[in-house]
Amino acid sequence: MSEEIPTADDPEQPGRSGSEREAATEPGNPLGVDRPHETAEDYTLTELLAVTAAHEIADHETAFIGVGMSLMSGVLAKYTHAPNCQLVTESGYIGSVPPGVVQSISDSVLGVDALVATDQCEIFTDNQRGAFDVGIIGAGQIDSRGNTNSTVVIGDQSYDRPKVRLPGSGGSNDIMTSCGRTVVMMRQKRRAFTTDVDYTTAPGHLEYPGHREELGFVGNGPCAVITDMAVFGFDDDGEMLLESTHPDVSVDDVHDEVQWELRVADDVGTTREPTRAEVAMLRTIDPADVVLRGTDYVYEVGFEEWSETVLEHWRRLQPIQDE
Amino acid sequence: MTHPITGTDHRDGTDDDPSGREKVTDLETAIADSVHDGASVAFGGMGGRDPEAAAREIVRQEKSGLTVLDDARTTLLDIMVGAGCVDEYVGSWVGTSLISQGHNIRNAVENDVPHHLQMRDVSNFGSSLMFLAGAMDVPFVPTRSMLGTDIPEHNDALEIIDDPFGSGDKLTLVPAERPDVAIIHVQRCDPLGNAQIHGNVVNDHLKARAAEHTVITCEEIVSTDEIRESPELTRIPFYTVDAVAEVPFGCHPWHCYGRYYADLPFYREYGLRSQNRDDFLEWVEEWIVPHEDYLEKIGEDRLETLERMEREINDPAEVRR
Repeated sequence: MSEEIPTADDPEQPGRSGSEREAATEPGNPLGVDRPHETAEDYTLTELLAVTAAHEIADHETAFIGVGMSLMSGVLAKYTHAPNCQLVTESGYIGSVPPGVVQSISDSVLGVDALVATDQCEIFTDNQRGAFDVGIIGAGQIDSRGNTNSTVVIGDQSYDRPKVRLPGSGGSNDIMTSCGRTVVMMRQKRRAFTTDVDYTTAPGHLEYPGHREELGFVGNGPCAVITDMAVFGFDDDGEMLLESTHPDVSVDDVHDEVQWELRVADDVGTTREPTRAEVAMLRTIDPADVVLRGTDYVYEVGFEEWSETVLEHWRRLQPIQDE
Repeated sequence: MTHPITGTDHRDGTDDDPSGREKVTDLETAIADSVHDGASVAFGGMGGRDPEAAAREIVRQEKSGLTVLDDARTTLLDIMVGAGCVDEYVGSWVGTSLISQGHNIRNAVENDVPHHLQMRDVSNFGSSLMFLAGAMDVPFVPTRSMLGTDIPEHNDALEIIDDPFGSGDKLTLVPAERPDVAIIHVQRCDPLGNAQIHGNVVNDHLKARAAEHTVITCEEIVSTDEIRESPELTRIPFYTVDAVAEVPFGCHPWHCYGRYYADLPFYREYGLRSQNRDDFLEWVEEWIVPHEDYLEKIGEDRLETLERMEREINDPAEVRR
């Protein structure tokens, strides 16, 4: 595992130049990676996705995040460009500084240096008041107005006996209703980018401009959709707008994976690639590759090696947390 | 109709001397006495502090026809569904966290294996509020969540109304749920049922209050004097609790904050072995055993490693003050 991580130079190592020392203490490069701001030589699409979502969280913001990719992005933001952001999770933790990837929503790493350990009802009460700036959610289907489905793919069947039963809302409905703005992360597939979602789990810009305001929502709804191919925003009508495609992906490629007549920004660009520092940090916070690669690493190496790897990575992040 | 807490037994546990009023029992008896076929059950925790040992005991005792009233629920629901214990789930999210989908849950909903699982969806806040309404003993609590979506379309228990006070706002009414039994795993509890939770609470304080009958499983039974040293940690008071069972490592393979870290390889293996019906039944054969035997099979070394991992991040001396 550790070989895959770009050199995190030992600060005690003799012969390091002064400029490298500065790099090691500069915010955004806590691991002290060599040439931190250069584009990473190798990164996966999943890593690009995580880094792009992380950039949706600005410094000093309060970010409501779930499990998996969204928590990865939140933790990455906290350790890189947004050290003063505060992470909120629906199980009851606020202001955590987790030393690694979070396996579940009550993962005890969320208790590390947390400001608050409370209950779910309180978190969502505050959410309904509009206390949180940005939320990150996932979804199985999405339409052109950012309405998402994470409950059932019905197909020609029924809600009770659907074609595919998905996990359900979790907090995604509540987040999309009331968070200041919401970022949706998902895989770009034609069947998922649909003209009509089978079931609306979380409210995007609903059916027409002003629909959210009519219902009295405090949150502004979806602001971005980040996929493995592209980044989308929303225009003033509440329609999805292609803003950038990832390297080696064309606008036509994206059109092919969207069922509706997609609106494309005049100045559509290429998504910024992850830096060496960002990729190194991602690989440090996900030592067992649970989120990033979804490999069977954990299963293959067995319990002992897994526990040692996790402990080793926690210890690597400890001095950064203490700062 | 109102429901006073624990009916005529509500004076139990007001005495510091627990003699004659002991709620302390063992896991097997607690489940046998409280979970009847056809009961509605709520479980505590949420991908951390989940009462996994209690759920395995429910499977071992071959309970059936259960309704699980819950928020987000992971492995324990998937195991119970695969084993045929559950007919209906009311809650916000099912799966086995980021490790895998809930294969048994999907198989039951989509293919009726081993039999059909009826789903009734709410959002996460919706699940908190159904227990809050139950705990308050009022018929419903309103929220702005779920408006404009299909959640109320497919859940007949939810109602959308115009604010009767004339603000013009629309509101979703979430009806009270009063589970027959709530089963909650905590770090410490005294024999009277004062349950202390370290770390996050999720909806456990509400579930205990909403339920007709509450079973606490705990890592450690401590004296009432010890509870008095840190009363702010007591989130579930004695008068809502009916039974207390000491069940060390009672939420393995999940996390128990301040005690042990999650056993990721164990539930990763569950995720793989639950993909296929025959493999799952073999898993049940292997792991649905009395809790003491389960811990012996996991092995002392492995449990100690999980404790060491948790100590590394959450120092128990600090956690327990």
